[in-house]
Amino acid sequence: MQVFKLCLKIFKKNLPVMSIYFGVFIMVSIIMMSNNRPTEQAGFIQAKTRMVVFSEESSPLIDGMKEVLSDIAVFEAIEDDENQLQDALYFRRISYILRIPENFTEDFLAGKNPTLSVTSVPEATSKIYIDMRLDQYLNTANIYVNQIPGIDAQTLNTYTLEDLDYETPVQMLEADQTFGEEGMMPYYFNYLAYTFMFVVIMGISTIMLVFNDLNIKRRNACAPMSSTSVTLQFYLATMLFSLLSWALLAGLSLLFSRNELSDSNTLAFILNSFVFALSSSSIAFLIGNLVKGREAISAIANVFTLGSCFISGVFVPQAILTDSVLKMASFLPTYWYVRGNTLIAISADFSKALMIQLAFAVAFFILAIVVGKKKRMAIEA
Amino acid sequence: MFGHIFVYRLKVLLRDKSMIFWTMIFPIALATFFNLAFGGFSSQGTFGTIPVAVVLESDNIAFADTLEKMSTGESPMFKPDFVTPSQADALLSDGKVAGTITVADTMALKVNQSGISQSILKIFLDRYAHTTRTVSRIAAIHPESLQNMDLTPVTFTKDAPITTGNLDMTLNYFYALIAMACFYGSFFGLEEVSLIQANLSRRGARLNMAPVHKLKAFIYSSLASYTILIGEMMVLMAYLIFVLGVNFGSQIGLILVTVFIGSLAGLTFGSFIAALVKGDANMKTGLLIGITMIGSFLSGMMFAEMKYLVQTKFPLLTIINPVNLLADAFYALYFFSTYNRYLLNISGLLIFTVIFALSTYWVIRRRKYASL
Repeated sequence: MQVFKLCLKIFKKNLPVMSIYFGVFIMVSIIMMSNNRPTEQAGFIQAKTRMVVFSEESSPLIDGMKEVLSDIAVFEAIEDDENQLQDALYFRRISYILRIPENFTEDFLAGKNPTLSVTSVPEATSKIYIDMRLDQYLNTANIYVNQIPGIDAQTLNTYTLEDLDYETPVQMLEADQTFGEEGMMPYYFNYLAYTFMFVVIMGISTIMLVFNDLNIKRRNACAPMSSTSVTLQFYLATMLFSLLSWALLAGLSLLFSRNELSDSNTLAFILNSFVFALSSSSIAFLIGNLVKGREAISAIANVFTLGSCFISGVFVPQAILTDSVLKMASFLPTYWYVRGNTLIAISADFSKALMIQLAFAVAFFILAIVVGKKKRMAIEA
Repeated sequence: MFGHIFVYRLKVLLRDKSMIFWTMIFPIALATFFNLAFGGFSSQGTFGTIPVAVVLESDNIAFADTLEKMSTGESPMFKPDFVTPSQADALLSDGKVAGTITVADTMALKVNQSGISQSILKIFLDRYAHTTRTVSRIAAIHPESLQNMDLTPVTFTKDAPITTGNLDMTLNYFYALIAMACFYGSFFGLEEVSLIQANLSRRGARLNMAPVHKLKAFIYSSLASYTILIGEMMVLMAYLIFVLGVNFGSQIGLILVTVFIGSLAGLTFGSFIAALVKGDANMKTGLLIGITMIGSFLSGMMFAEMKYLVQTKFPLLTIINPVNLLADAFYALYFFSTYNRYLLNISGLLIFTVIFALSTYWVIRRRKYASL
């Protein structure tokens, strides 16, 4: 088992670099965990958006306006400073800034139709949402001002708020369905794709580089050992490496989503990630057979993994990606892996995604063998 | 002398494929991935016409009229589909419509999830009921005024945009990416210092023997590095602007100045680390990548919201992070008509550059070696 032992030695030497990538995976997972806690809810809940109100006066009219808006918005406290407001809008901390000028109430009651100044993310759905509610409040009040001349502010407030108190009954299609996100497990498993692919490409191609060195190859060829045995030991060692990396990453994913372990989908996630591990390993074999230098490995590993993860929906959800990008991505096993995870999360049939990944695994593996054979036959490296 | 060192250094650097890859090809590749991935991202949260199923249980002309008004025009609010109750449920469970409106004496809404589109539908129906209530109240207390009642909605709001720029969150990813590319220029700085210090490389040892002023040799050869870095950054910027169509605003001159200063900051950062940190080249490279990556992460290259989080929770971190200063300079140029924030960022960056350059100078000058 000399070849097998040698492979393990090479892996050991590359352990520090690999552990950095495992560390990155753990870090990003922890960030995701604190970032996106999904909320579970049952029944219909009115959406709330965040806004800021700067008022230069206070009156029953404005109090009523705030009360009506508070049904659909959360008021944030942000200093009235151009820098801070711009940043808050840009990063979607708030979506609406409402400025009530001085004498607004007076002009309004006098029927002069004064205006409020609104700063928002243009065309945003949340802007239209708040606009509608604000518009309704002011128009209702305006009707009273026009129809009941000399109406006092207090009565106006009471009438308007009473009218706006009505809510349309909302029924859910399936009454007892809960509408949370599907939990965090698919996210952790999706993200596993990035780390695993990178580690496996780096690891496997590093070993292949050593074995493919022309002088070493010639020396090995003289050894009293059948080439079948060498090849078998080589694949055994690399598969062991892939398996360990997969087990470690899948284990971490499960650890991070330990609250969801009891879900019936857990096994499906594990199965899907295992099949993905097979297909990425065969990609790694292919890359290892094609790459010439040590520097090139990390370049290719970085670009290939980042690229395939970006367009396959590991970092950005597939739902957001455009159709043409997804079409391109469907030529990669990563796309089908993420697709499988999405299907598993909603308990749908994911066998097609699984089969396609397996087909990729076989195809890349055969390609790798063919390329490798061709290279071995070549006289020069 | 200058010509000799400069030209040969350029030749050497241009043949360093790995260096060119990491400082130019890699940022370009990353920008391409961003562009592919965020293609559909910028329209997130932008209003689109809401498809809705309408079931008519009784005729309601006033409501039909209102709905008609909201569903026509240039950017209609709703796209109604008049169907039977069972068809409506099918459309709803397939997610083809956001909700079903049942038109009777009072309106009812049926949805299959809570979201902003559904909430807008609800508010729309609420409005209809509210207006009905208002009208009947006025009919009760002031029946005589009903004749001349005007229900035409009045607009009480006026848009006051905060910026002329497009508040597109994906821009920040590209700004942070350019900042990262500038700071990847630190590899050049690292190389320059390694090649001039006799204890770090054989070429350094040889150069120390030569009757050349060391500082001059260092500056000439660093200038070659800087030239290449600027060339690469220009390629990156041209790619971003002309191929990917990333918007930087109209102040091309200032954008270029920012790139020049940013590249200089990156280069001196590399030489600073190379001169100050003890350890082999691998460790220094690791340190450069690590610091640049953490800096880019905090400026929102992986999650745009990270930048805002840092700004509001740990403002000190934005000032001591040169990558963020650079990314924020682009942001300030694009979004603000005044230059306060831009100048603040640029002066921060210049202070960093001066510190990096002076410390490098201070460490590498007048080194004497007893033996090598």
